[in-house]
Amino acid sequence: MADPHLRSDEPAATEPATAGSWRLVVPVLRLVAVFALTLAGAVLAIQLLLWASPGDPVDLVPNGEEIRDQLEAEWGLDRPLPQRYALFLGRALQGDLGSSLTYRPGATVTELILPAAGRSLKLLIPALALAMGLGIGLGLLTAGRSSLLRRAAQVVSVAPVFLLAFLAVHLLNELAFHGMEAGWFGRPSWFALPDADSVLKTTLAIVVLAVGSGALAEVHAAVEDEVVRLRNAPFVDAAVARGAPVWKHVLWNLLPPLATIAYGRAAFFVGGLVIVEKVLHLNGAGSMLWQACRLRDYPVALGITVLAAGAVCGARLLGDLVRIGVDPRLREASR
Amino acid sequence: MRPGAWAGAALLTLVGVVGVLTAVLPEPWLPYDIVADVSHADAGLAPSAAHWLGTDHLGRDVAWRLVLATRAFVGPGLLACLLASVIGVGAGAISGFLGGPVAALVRYLSTVTASIPRFVLVLLAIAINGNSTWLIGAVAGVAYSPAVAEAVFSRIDSLQRADFVLAARAHGLGPVRILLYHLLWVNCRRMVGRHALNLFGYLLLLETTLSYIGGFGVMEPQPSWGNMLAFEFGYRTANIWGVWAPAIAIWVTIFCCGLVSEALAERRRA
Repeated sequence: MADPHLRSDEPAATEPATAGSWRLVVPVLRLVAVFALTLAGAVLAIQLLLWASPGDPVDLVPNGEEIRDQLEAEWGLDRPLPQRYALFLGRALQGDLGSSLTYRPGATVTELILPAAGRSLKLLIPALALAMGLGIGLGLLTAGRSSLLRRAAQVVSVAPVFLLAFLAVHLLNELAFHGMEAGWFGRPSWFALPDADSVLKTTLAIVVLAVGSGALAEVHAAVEDEVVRLRNAPFVDAAVARGAPVWKHVLWNLLPPLATIAYGRAAFFVGGLVIVEKVLHLNGAGSMLWQACRLRDYPVALGITVLAAGAVCGARLLGDLVRIGVDPRLREASR
Repeated sequence: MRPGAWAGAALLTLVGVVGVLTAVLPEPWLPYDIVADVSHADAGLAPSAAHWLGTDHLGRDVAWRLVLATRAFVGPGLLACLLASVIGVGAGAISGFLGGPVAALVRYLSTVTASIPRFVLVLLAIAINGNSTWLIGAVAGVAYSPAVAEAVFSRIDSLQRADFVLAARAHGLGPVRILLYHLLWVNCRRMVGRHALNLFGYLLLLETTLSYIGGFGVMEPQPSWGNMLAFEFGYRTANIWGVWAPAIAIWVTIFCCGLVSEALAERRRA
């Protein structure tokens, strides 16, 4: 934050050193409030979806008729929507998301989904980092000129996550099969994908998640736009005139827009995670969500959806905090 | 538009027309019966005059299944585009016209829907209401509409004080005419078109993904580009097109959506 170039460009952003960290309190509180409001809205949207669905959620449960009264009381189905919503939100705040009905009967949703979410984060965070890294690298290379590299990245990236995973698995299996038939090598330890657990499979999941369904192309395009904008910015000219290293300024100023790009992709990555975990037979919150939907385990599915929304809102909060941490002008603007 | 974009638009039109025709024509009129075509003697045949793309491991014609699979996503895709455009443009126009709290509400809704992964929302909806590709289209369209509304709103808002709007007002044109023609039709239609194209591509992605994983989406024996891939997985037949034809079809169609959408953006800038 002590970087002088931020001020060379916008004198209004300079602040007295004495004001110190107090200047951050109001914007940070504001962001936390936005986070809470958005998450509450997302939970309401999910509840509305359930409420607007024809039919009775109790019918979804295999032995619903026997325990109808208990379920209705637990889910608050006998109450109007606002009360039901308040009930769900109040319990969720205390970490109580109900208990599983069919996925693992009797277990509480929280104890089921938290470890699964931990396993999923081990895919999600490297994938996001890889997408950002690849996007920034390619963006710095191709920004401002026409490049075959950009087209190539677009063509590969446009393929859906499941298709990339499928083709990779298909080709690797075919290759291994040919190799074994021809006697080039013995049975590889990862064979046959996607059933055997291996480092290769996890790596594949991360790469596919980072590239597929347009992830890489969108990050790349956004980084390119920002790099072009920064290269033409007056403070970069000033840095060049001073003889200061330009890349440092460009990278530092790239951080706020990068944070925006990263959290903009977070929701897509969470959606893609469900697909990757299912296609590559990985055990995490995504495959648990699918399974819960198949088994009509309404509390587990709902719990994971709320958790996913929370993760996306959390990513947004984190990104915004980085933004106002790096760029004092945004602090002023968010007042 | 560049020739590539025209080719993309032509291909999308072809897919759209085939998809609508195969959905609308009654089953007996179609020259292909998806259930009767199983014959183990013809399994895994290479492409020939009788089977343009060969046959799958049950001896079914890959080319015909590829064509019939378009009806799984074209109709729902168009439904999603229609819903997202109508709701999105409507809400965007109203909030652009009224401003203030309505605009804030639209922005809030857009943030909220963006925070629930669309794939998860669709999955939840079909798990509760039963599996239907039309429902996938409807949920995706409604969930996408706040994003369109916000885009329309910010475009209208940024043009509120543009010279041409002032000029139109000075000519005595009413606010409704300015909103509908000068702001929405002239300045937003390409943008809405781009959103619709992206959404169509996304719906193809959704449908094929769900059908590929199985349990939701299109189920055997009904063909989908997604379940055709899943069905051939692990069978090492002589006909590689059983896998590659649907894979290429998905890839090229989604790529074309992006290509045409990109071309629409370029022309706006010029």
